[in-house]
Amino acid sequence: MEIHVDCDACVGCGLCVKDCPMDVYEIRDGVSTPVRPENCMGCLSCHEICPAQALEHRGVYPARRHYIDIRVCEMLRKVI
Amino acid sequence: MNSGYIDQLQESFHTDIVYRSEDIPLECTPRPREMEQTLHGVMKLNGLIIRSLEEIAGRGANAVTYRAGKKFGHETAKYFQKREDVEGALHELSDLLRGQYTFEVWKPADKENYIIEENGETFIYLVFHDCIVRQTLRRNGLEQGGPLCQTLFGYVVGAIEEITGRRAKLEIVHTGPNACLKKLVLK
Ligand code: SF4
Ligand code: SF4
Repeated sequence: MEIHVDCDACVGCGLCVKDCPMDVYEIRDGVSTPVRPENCMGCLSCHEICPAQALEHRGVYPARRHYIDIRVCEMLRKVI
Repeated sequence: MNSGYIDQLQESFHTDIVYRSEDIPLECTPRPREMEQTLHGVMKLNGLIIRSLEEIAGRGANAVTYRAGKKFGHETAKYFQKREDVEGALHELSDLLRGQYTFEVWKPADKENYIIEENGETFIYLVFHDCIVRQTLRRNGLEQGGPLCQTLFGYVVGAIEEITGRRAKLEIVHTGPNACLKKLVLK
């Protein structure tokens, strides 16, 4: 797994450090740094919790998503 | 544990997909257009049953759902070939669960084997990728790890016990929006 942190977006809150069960991140020089990306199992909890949307995972397996309301997403697409 | 099958299984979960936080999902995968109303109805109903069960039975709800899952696991797995090796049983189990739950056998990079012995416990980590329970919970805005997850726990334990004749226990290590890490403890 390759993990990229957008250093301009990251606010250094440390939420990803606390939330990651595999201790993948550490805060270094005020920004999150993936120090153990090889231990990532792709749960994407860090994506959900990051307030700055600063994270990117390359090589993740996206789980099937049947729970998404397509009509709501279509409306969002029109707005955004 | 023979790693050939595990390598093959892990390969099926490796992709080149880049996932960004700001991505808004624009479609369900695979497309359930025709089934959407039915599917949402079933998920809604299941979520409400679980919520009501929790309200009435409190912590006892977990015991009920675990038992239901375990019965289901025993029931389904009794038609499968009996085998003693856990690896073979996991293989059978992944065939059994395909389409509802898919999982891979996983280990942290610093561990040599998939069967880990630590603090007097023997266990295997399983990463559950696709899971109908997680989808139902998220559809209903319910927390993961509650009574509905216990049905899956019971199911896996029941099936492993049925196939191998060994007692087992499944513990949650972490629940996430895209995958959950579980520990299959062997007794
Ligand atoms: S996806 Fe999960 S395991 Fe991977 S870095 Fe994020 S929180 Fe940690
Ligand atoms: S949660 Fe996001 S903003 Fe906070 S430290 Fe982690 S990457 Fe940076």
